[in-house]
Amino acid sequence: MTTMASPLRRSRNLAAGLVLLALLLVAVALASLAVGARPIPVGEVIDALLHPEVTGTNATILRELRLPRTLLGLLVGAAIGLAGAIMQGVTRNPLADPGLLGIDAGAALLVVLGITIFGLTSLPAYVWLAFLGAALATALVYAVASLGREGATPVKLALSGAAVTAACGSVITSILMTNATTLDAFRFWQVGSLAGRSFDILIGVAPFLVVGIALAMITGRLLDAMALGDDIARGLGQRVMLSRMVAAVTWIILAGGATAAVGPIGFVGLTVPHAARAITGPSYRWILPYTALLAPILLLSADILGRVLAPPGELQVGIVTAALGAPLFIALVRRRRLAEL
Amino acid sequence: MIKPILAAVLAVGFFVSPTMAAAWTYTDGAGKTVTLDHLPTRIVAHANVAAGLIPLGIRPIGIYVDSVVADDMSLRGLDLTGIEIVGEAWGEINIEKLAALQPDLILAEYWPLEKAYSGMEPKASDGTVIEQIAPVAGPAQGDSTVGLIAQYEALAALLGADLTKPDIAANKTAFEASKAAFQSALAAKPNLTVLAVSASNDALYVAEPKGASELSDFKAWGLKLISPEIADDRGYWETLSWENADKHQPDLVLVDDRYGSTILDILKSKPTWTSIKAAAAGQVGDWPAFWMRNYKVLSEQLDKLTATIRASDENLTN
Repeated sequence: MTTMASPLRRSRNLAAGLVLLALLLVAVALASLAVGARPIPVGEVIDALLHPEVTGTNATILRELRLPRTLLGLLVGAAIGLAGAIMQGVTRNPLADPGLLGIDAGAALLVVLGITIFGLTSLPAYVWLAFLGAALATALVYAVASLGREGATPVKLALSGAAVTAACGSVITSILMTNATTLDAFRFWQVGSLAGRSFDILIGVAPFLVVGIALAMITGRLLDAMALGDDIARGLGQRVMLSRMVAAVTWIILAGGATAAVGPIGFVGLTVPHAARAITGPSYRWILPYTALLAPILLLSADILGRVLAPPGELQVGIVTAALGAPLFIALVRRRRLAEL
Repeated sequence: MIKPILAAVLAVGFFVSPTMAAAWTYTDGAGKTVTLDHLPTRIVAHANVAAGLIPLGIRPIGIYVDSVVADDMSLRGLDLTGIEIVGEAWGEINIEKLAALQPDLILAEYWPLEKAYSGMEPKASDGTVIEQIAPVAGPAQGDSTVGLIAQYEALAALLGADLTKPDIAANKTAFEASKAAFQSALAAKPNLTVLAVSASNDALYVAEPKGASELSDFKAWGLKLISPEIADDRGYWETLSWENADKHQPDLVLVDDRYGSTILDILKSKPTWTSIKAAAAGQVGDWPAFWMRNYKVLSEQLDKLTATIRASDENLTN
C-alpha cells in the first residue's frame, strides 16, 4: 500500500508513526514507575515523585530503585537497538548484534580480569572495565578484519568477531574454572538485568549513551550508502573506510556503555532493527529513529513483565527479552524473508 | 612365560590372604562399604573433609579444594604444611597429581541432593576415573553440623586417631560451653526473631533453615529463625525483589559470610536494605554458611553469635 503513496505522503506517515511511538514510550516509562514487584498505590507513586519531602520505604523504592531503573532502561534500550541496527548496516549481516562482533565477550573478559586480579566486586568498577573491554575487542576485531588489501569487509568483520569472541571466551573459562570466588561474583553480572542499578551507574554511563545515541542518529546517511556495497558507495563519493570508523566508534560507545551498565541483553539489538525495517522500509534515516523508540519500549515492557511474573522475586530482564525476542524474531522471519542487507 | 607369573601371583595371594583378617572396613554416609586390606594411611581428602579430620589428628597427604586455598573458609586456621594440593577449582581434580600420590583412600562428603561426592558433581565420568585410583567414601551432608562432626569422629577413630587427646577433648568441652552460653543468651531473649540471608545485585535471598545444617542446629538449640513461606524447588531459598526486601521483619539479620564481606557489601549498597528494621538498627551478624566442620570453629562462631544476640534488642520488631 505504501508503494502507491507519494514519497512526501510516506514521509508524513512515518513521521506520524514516530510521534505515536514516542507517546507509547512515555506511557511505558510511566508504567515502569507505577508497576513493580511491590504493589504501590498510584497516588503514592505520584506523591513520592512530585514531593521530595515524602519519605518512607515506598518513596525510597520509587526514587532510588524504579526511577534510575526506568531511566537506565530508556537509555540502554535505545543504545542496544541502535548498536544492533548500525552493526547490521555496516556488516550487511542480518544477524549482527553486540554478541557477534566480540563486544560482549570483550566486556566480560575485562570484568573477569578485574575481579580476579584486582579483587573488584562493585558494579561501578565493572562498568568501566566492561566499557574498556568492549572498545578493545572492537578495535581488535577491526584490526584483524582490516588485514589484507580489501580492508574490513562485512564477511571478514563477522569472522574476526567470531574469532575474538572464541578467544575471549576461552580465557574467561580458564579463569572461572580456577577461581570459585570470581565465578560467583561474575555470575551476578552474566545475565542482563536492570534491577539493583543505582543512580551512580546511570550517571556513569548516561553521558556516553546520550552522545552515542546522538551520533547514531547522524549515521543514517552513511549506512544507506554502505548498504549499496563498497563499490557503489565509493562511486557515490563516500569514503567507505571513514564511514566504517564512524559507525564503529558509535557502536562501541552504545554497546559498550549498555553492556557495562546492565550486562548482556539478547535479542533486542537483533530483533528491533528488523521490526523497524518492516515498518519503515530500507532507509536507515527512518530505521534508526524507529529503532531508538521501539527498543526501549520492548526493553522496559520486558522489565515490567519480569517484575510481576515471579512475585515476590523478579525475573531478570535478559531472560524476559530472550523469551519475548525469540518468538518475535521467528514471526518476523516467517512474515517476510529477512531483508537482504 | 605366563606360568611363572601366574605362580607368582598365586604365591603373593597365598601369603597376603592371612593378613585379610586385619582388613579395614568403613560404611560411609551414602551407605557404601569400603573394604581395604590394611588401615589406609595415604588419604587424599576434599577441603571440607580435611577441615573435619585434621583437628582430630588425621592428616591427609593431599587435598583438593573448591577454590584457591586462601578463599576456602573451612581451611582457615589449619596447618596445611606438607599437604599436597591436587585441585583448586570446583569439580577440577588433577588426576595425574592424585594418582602420583598413590592414595589408599579418597575422602569426600556425600551430598544426598546431588547424589554425588564433593568435587565430583559436575561429571559422572570423573568420579569413575577417580574410583579407579582409590575408593571414594565419606560422611553424608544432612540436617546437623554436629551430626556431621560426629561422623568425622567415628571416621577418625576408625582411621586410628586417638580421640582422648587433651586438645581434642578441650575443643569439644569448649563447644559444649559455647552451646550452653548460646542457649542461655537465647533464653534471656525469648522474643528475638532472626533471619538468615544472602544476596546478589538482582535480589535478596532468604534462607530456609532446613537447607543449611548449621541453621538447623541453631534452630534446634532455640534460635527463632524465620522460615520463608516460599522456597525454591531445592528448598534452600526464597528470592525477594529489592522492592520486597522488607517482607520479613526480624530483630536480627545474619548475613552469609562464605565469601568474606562480599555479600554484606552488596546488601549495604541497596537502598532498601535498611527497610529491614534490624539492618537499619545495625542488628546484623555473620552466618557461617555451609563451611563449619569441627568443634573449634563451631565454638568460635557460636561465641560470636552469642555476643551478637546479647547485644541485640529483642523487641525491635513486634
